[in-house]
Amino acid sequence: MPTFEVNDHKYEVDEDGFLQEPGIWNETVASDFATTEGVTDLTEAHWKVIHYLRNYYLQFGIAPMIRKVCKETGFKLNEIYQLFPSGPAKGACKLAGLPKPTGCV
Amino acid sequence: MQPLTEEERTHAFAPTRKAEVIARQRLPVRYHVEDFDGHHRPRRFLEAFAAVLKHTNYRLALDQYVRVSAKCSRCSVKCQVYLATGDNRDIPCYRSELLLKIYRRHFTVSGVLRGRLLGDPGLTDERVQEMADAFYNCTACRRCHFECPMGIDHALITHLGRYILSEIGIAPRALAVSVREQLTGATGNTSAVPVPALRDSLEFLSDDMQEERGVDIPFPLDEEGADYIFFPAVSDFLMEADTLMGNAAVFRATGDRWTIGTGYFDGINYGLFYSDHILEMVLHKMRAEVERLKAKTILIGECGHASRSAKFFYPTYCGGKQALPVVNCMEYAHKAWKQGRLKLKPNTIAEAVTYHDPCNLARTGWVVEQPRELLKAICSNYVEMTPNRRDNICCGGGGGTVSIDEIKPYRMLVGGRAKAEQIRATGAKYCVAPCANCKKQLRELMEEHGVDCQIVGLHDLLYKAIDFGPAAGGNGQ
Repeated sequence: MPTFEVNDHKYEVDEDGFLQEPGIWNETVASDFATTEGVTDLTEAHWKVIHYLRNYYLQFGIAPMIRKVCKETGFKLNEIYQLFPSGPAKGACKLAGLPKPTGCV
Repeated sequence: MQPLTEEERTHAFAPTRKAEVIARQRLPVRYHVEDFDGHHRPRRFLEAFAAVLKHTNYRLALDQYVRVSAKCSRCSVKCQVYLATGDNRDIPCYRSELLLKIYRRHFTVSGVLRGRLLGDPGLTDERVQEMADAFYNCTACRRCHFECPMGIDHALITHLGRYILSEIGIAPRALAVSVREQLTGATGNTSAVPVPALRDSLEFLSDDMQEERGVDIPFPLDEEGADYIFFPAVSDFLMEADTLMGNAAVFRATGDRWTIGTGYFDGINYGLFYSDHILEMVLHKMRAEVERLKAKTILIGECGHASRSAKFFYPTYCGGKQALPVVNCMEYAHKAWKQGRLKLKPNTIAEAVTYHDPCNLARTGWVVEQPRELLKAICSNYVEMTPNRRDNICCGGGGGTVSIDEIKPYRMLVGGRAKAEQIRATGAKYCVAPCANCKKQLRELMEEHGVDCQIVGLHDLLYKAIDFGPAAGGNGQ
């Protein structure tokens, strides 16, 4: 099992660097993973998206529809790409501790 | 097309896996593979090949191909991968020969005799490794088929090669994991969408449509006896809200009864890419849901491989001539429009719009003119890309490669190189790509190559153009 080590923390991750055990997520995890997705500073805007994804995931067991993310957080899709350069499905989900999306996503 | 620079070549072919994993699996490929039993690989490959030949009719095609294959390389002019890399190993008939040679050597009488006479040791592990790499460099777009003077379908060989490889455990992890969730997972679909999330998303979309168009546009769930049962690529429920809204809006306008089954609502079938066995099992899931809801017609969403796998293989595995008809949603919308049951407002889209033909829809000539006629009805500036229709260039993410994230540099620089330039040359603001695979690949391509073109589905635009009429209580906007 690959591991990801940063700031004295050690995480079990899959080969794409997604948290292996989504249940252990907390805000420190998001901060630790941020650099791998090209996010240097987690602002309030980042947290808004991350918390929305996280809460939706805890309720429904999957990431929300992208259109819903935009509507509920008030960010346009290109603004989300500015926040998370690797995109909502990869970058934002990884920081929120969701499993890697599968299928044609 | 500009050939690859050395820097681009290095980037596109950079190893994506740790050296220790490659050494452990003895498999120098760029896609991730789950660990598998790698002992006696050549022997196990031949056993799998023999089993496939015994239980299928691939032998008919292979017997013909080994006789007529001239290895003339005419196909090279059609292959976007070869045109980008210039590597002889990417010429379609070179790649096919990897497998045809094994067939000739091990499964024909003359080949076996000649092998013994000349002391040819037969299939080696190096050849298995070469195939594992080569068959996933091909996007299985079937464009080379047109150029082959002998009529060899190289994508069929790619498919068969991948099928046999998958039988001995060599398949991209991205595809295998999705298929496992679809066939044995709790959610039963490739993107692991649970039913409560499906309901939540669809209610959200209906609310949005009510807000935007002032019309109540439902997504009927689990309605028995509907005329149409809808199977989009399940990823549409996460990524393609606008396409789904268009699908629902078309039915709102025509008034036909349709439904989405909560027992199974995924049109995706990766079996088409790498395994006939999986192709069959996924179609059986579809059949069970169709029978549960007693639907009359299977309707596939905007997705090339989902449409082709159902259209051409549902009858094969699910009832032959008695099997229910399969239609693509664009065929449906086009027919309704022709019959006057779907009213579209002309000149709704003023910006330049072009159309990308997904290989799995257009290569056989199945869905080619229908979307064009619809687009011309609603766009004031429709432009074609060249080449187009049956001869269109693949997005570069075909054959399942778009789902393999780790090979993105390859898809961007090699597979999609020709496509990016083709779209740029049109100058279009919107490129309609009615396929979940193509949409994802093309969006990444436009970003990577700096092309200012928005990738949308056909139904995204139809949604804006549908005239619900005064009876619907819509605001007609």
